[in-house]
This record gives sequence, C-alpha cells and structure tokens, in this order.
Amino acid sequence: MASVIDLDGLVVRLGNRTILDHLNGSLTGLCIGLLGPNGSGKSTLLNTLLGFYPPFGGTARIFDKDIRVKTGHLRSMIGYMPESDAFIADMTGIKFVRYMAEISGLPAREAMERAHEAFFYVGLGEVRYRKVGTYSLGMKQLVKLAQALVHGPRLLLLDEPTNGLDPEARQRMLQLVREIRDTQKVHIVISTHLLRDIEECCDQVLILKKGRVAALCNLEEERKANRKFLELEVNQQNGFVEAISSLGCECAAFAGGRLKVVLPENIAVRQIYELAAEHTVQIRRMNYRRDSLEDIFLKAMEDKPEAREIASGRL
Amino acid sequence: MAVYKRSYKVYDGPLTPSGSRFFVLSRYSAAALFDSRLFTGFAIFCCLPFILGAISIYVLHSSMVQALLGMRLSGSEVVNNIWFWVFLQIECWMAFFMTVWSVPGIMMKDLANNALQLYLSRPLSRTEYLLGKISAVMLLLSAITWFPGLLLFGLQAQLEGHGWGGEHLWLMGAIFMGCLLWISVMALLALALSVWVKWRIAASGLMFAAFFVLAGLGQVIDSILRTQWGRLLNIPYVMALIWAHLFRLPSSFVREFRYARVPLWSAWASIISICLICLMLLNRRLKAREVERG
Repeated sequence: MASVIDLDGLVVRLGNRTILDHLNGSLTGLCIGLLGPNGSGKSTLLNTLLGFYPPFGGTARIFDKDIRVKTGHLRSMIGYMPESDAFIADMTGIKFVRYMAEISGLPAREAMERAHEAFFYVGLGEVRYRKVGTYSLGMKQLVKLAQALVHGPRLLLLDEPTNGLDPEARQRMLQLVREIRDTQKVHIVISTHLLRDIEECCDQVLILKKGRVAALCNLEEERKANRKFLELEVNQQNGFVEAISSLGCECAAFAGGRLKVVLPENIAVRQIYELAAEHTVQIRRMNYRRDSLEDIFLKAMEDKPEAREIASGRL
Repeated sequence: MAVYKRSYKVYDGPLTPSGSRFFVLSRYSAAALFDSRLFTGFAIFCCLPFILGAISIYVLHSSMVQALLGMRLSGSEVVNNIWFWVFLQIECWMAFFMTVWSVPGIMMKDLANNALQLYLSRPLSRTEYLLGKISAVMLLLSAITWFPGLLLFGLQAQLEGHGWGGEHLWLMGAIFMGCLLWISVMALLALALSVWVKWRIAASGLMFAAFFVLAGLGQVIDSILRTQWGRLLNIPYVMALIWAHLFRLPSSFVREFRYARVPLWSAWASIISICLICLMLLNRRLKAREVERG
C-alpha cells in the first residue's frame, strides 16, 4: 500500500526541549491511530505535519511531499480538527463552515453548497443557523469535524475527536469516523490516548512515548495473526484432545475441561466445531485469546529492550 | 457529499486563485463589522465632514448661493493646502476612533476561541492572514480619509478651473501619502496590540495609551532631561510634523504650532520604528500554536 505519511528521522524542538526525537516509520493505513500518554508528542506531531512547528532535524512526507517545502500545497489536501475549542463564536454554524471552505479555495457558491452538505453529514443540519457559541460541547466537536471535511481533503487529522463527549456522542463520532474511513476516499489520522477509540476505528497504530516511537504496528495483521490461539471449555474430553492433535494443532488439556489450542494456518475454527460434534463434546466457551491493543500498548510503554523490538516492527 | 446521499466525497471542482484568497478574510471581516448597527451609524457619521466639505466648496464657487447668504468669498483663496489639511485632520481623528473600535473586534473573533489554527491549517500563510485583516481595515479607513480627500480635490479642481488642479497636483500626493501613512500606522499598531493582549477592552485602552499617554510621557522626558527628543514618543505630534512637510504648510503656521522642534528625519525614523516594532510583535505573537518556553 502507498505510504500516507513517512517519518524520516523527524526531530522537533520547542524552546530547549526535544518534543519529537528521531521519529521513523511509514504510515500506510486507511485509518491510523496515534496513541500515547499525555505529553508523548501526539499533538506536536500533528502540528508539525501541518507546518505549525518547523522540524529541527529530519523531515516527514505526506503523500510523498516534503512538509518543509510543500506546506501550502499539503494544507490544501488536509482537513484538521484541533483538540481544543476552535471556532468563531458569533458566526452561525453554516457561515463559519462556509468561511473555512472559501479560505480553502472553494468559490463562494460551492463553499455554501458543501457547507450545507457537511452539516447534514455530521448530523447538525437542524442547528446550522444557530451561532456556534451557543452549541453544546458535542455539537462543537461535530462542527469542528464539519469544517475539517468541507473542502474534501485527502487526509483528515483528528486530534482527540472524542474529548469531553458523553458515551452516546462518542459513539456517534466514532461511527462517523468509521463511515468516512469506509468510503476509502480519505485517510484519517486520529490522535488520542483512548485505546478503545483506536481499536474501534484504526487499522494501523503508532504508539509514542516521550517523543519516540514505542511501537508501530498493523492492527489488522495483529488481529489475524493472533486468531490462531484458542481457549476452550468443554463438558468432557472423550478423545477430543487426540482428535484435535491429529489435525495438526498443538493442544494442552487442563482441569475443569479447559483446553488451550494453537491452530495452524490451514485449520479453520469451523473444523474444531465439527470435531466436537463428531465426539459429542459440548463446547461451553471459546475465546480467541489474542494480544489486545491494551497488551500492545502496555508492552510498548515498558522500558525494556523488547520495546525496541516492537518499535522495529517485530511485535 | 450530497445532502441526500449522506456520504463523503472529495472536492474536485474549481478553486479560486491562491493569491486572492486573503480577500475572503477582508470580506468577512468587513461584513462582521457592519453587522453592528452602532458601527454602521458611526461609519455614516464619519462621512459627514466630506458632505460638509463638498457643500462648502460648492458654496465658495457659487456666486448665486453666496449672494443669497450675503457672503463674498473666493474658492481659490479659501480652499488651499491648509483647508485640506484641516479637513483631513478631522477625518483622520475619526479614523482613529474607527480603528480603536473595529480592529480589536475583528481580531478578537479569531483569537478568543483559538480559530487562528483553523485559518493557518488551510492554504493560507500568516502573512496572507495579516494581509486579509489589514486590508479590511485599510479599505474602511481609506473610505473616510484619502478617498473623500481626493474627491474634494477633484471637485475643487473642476469648479475652480484655470489650471488649479495642475498647479496643485502635489496636493493630491500629500493627501494620499499623508492619509496612507496615518492609517497604516494606526492599523498596524491596533493589530499588534490586539494580537499582543488578546483582550478587546485592553487592546482599545492600549491604543489610547499609545496615542495619548506616550505623548505625556514624552513631555515628562523633555522636562526632566531638558531635551526635545521625548516628543518622538508623541505619535500625533510626529505625524503632524510629517504632514506639515507634505502639505507645505507656511512657516508662520508651523511656528505657531511649534512643529519644528525635532528634525523631520527623526519623525520619519520614529514612525518607521513604530511600524517595525508592530511587525516584530505580530511575527512573534501571531502563531497557530503558542510555544511554552522552558
């Protein structure tokens, strides 16, 4: 897959502090998660990609264009939803989004049309003539998303999009992000410290820790790779363990009818069900015991040499 | 991204030329100002000197109206460089109040809720942002300063005839240059102070302080140190000195207002320094993101 963002030894210093320290990696996913604890440099990375902070060393490329030289051109392809409040309070929602579209280069008529569309798309159609200052927090988040989408960008940078939202609004926001991702017309980068947000939307994750890359992994591949590891609980073993082993699986039996099975790549879960039926064994519980994103994150946060292995892609 | 389809679509339609996008800011900023009825009323009030000036020029050239009013004055004797100087002094002080009113307002809309990062995350540079804002103010101030000044000059030249316009062509330059200098300094100063304090009332207060408190401070410096250089802190005085030169005011007139205390070059140096300080301040503070030093 073509690279969306290439980090090439990117160093960012603000004042005397090094905020991003030699970031390397190629981000190729349709929806990329930027994960890390507070102060790890997630927002700084987004701001650097937008050209707000100049790189102290190294560089980054978006769609193969260097951020240091093609800033203006790149910004026309990017939609940015900042973390903090960012709006013009005494403008109506529709006027605000139209204004942002016109600044992005859309002619007045097209800008108006797209502003209406963006408002309906994010689900704020009914309140588009109200002043932005009167919106609730959830609405303000959505209007920020609308202004980021209005000019039809190819890359969407969302900085903590679910910040301060109640569970219902959070689900609505994540649903919107998934919908946008599924159109496959725009790449999304979500910066957050919430693992669930990343797990629900992203197919690739870059974990930052103290301004360094702690892990860069493809979540889809991780999910596939770990599907082979099964935990079963059965009512009786009745030759079931031997049958599973004869399929070529590694199997270990424990007290209470618990089994742990490692499936080879050519064995499907369905075959386990068929064997159980043949041996009149009831499967009472089946778990894919896989490394969750939380496990990946916690491993990445450990100050151990294996974290460096994770960083080099050997997770 | 059609409303009825509710699906995302990349925009691939026509785009406006990138060089003219800052005008979008000017247009929206000016429109936002005229949303206020009070401001609209004040803008109309600022046109009053122009209307009165036009009437007086007409009266001075109309023997019939003069006969009706029982007057006997010649247009060319009354409407001269001093007449235009007085007219523009009135207009420029009105422009000062308009600047104090408008500039902090249009800047605070963007600064109060961090909207600046939204502008600068688009294909718009800081310079273009500033250009957009400053052009809105300059257009507005031009409409009440040099533009009516030049219209009155044209009216006078037309009614006077006999090559008056040709003889006083330099006055056109003085009107344009003098007003442009005044409104540029005011607009830059107001923008810089607004961006610096990020608080509308404080920015307006600082504008008054820059024009009046600094003048007082200059006088204090003059008195204590027994010098004249303190006057360079007095922006209206410095401006008046340059204007007196541009409008070729007679020496008696100059002496009367005691303008000739510091040399002209120092007045220009003072104005240029103020502009440079404002630009430096804008460069430091007008950023999408503030960086905490430490």
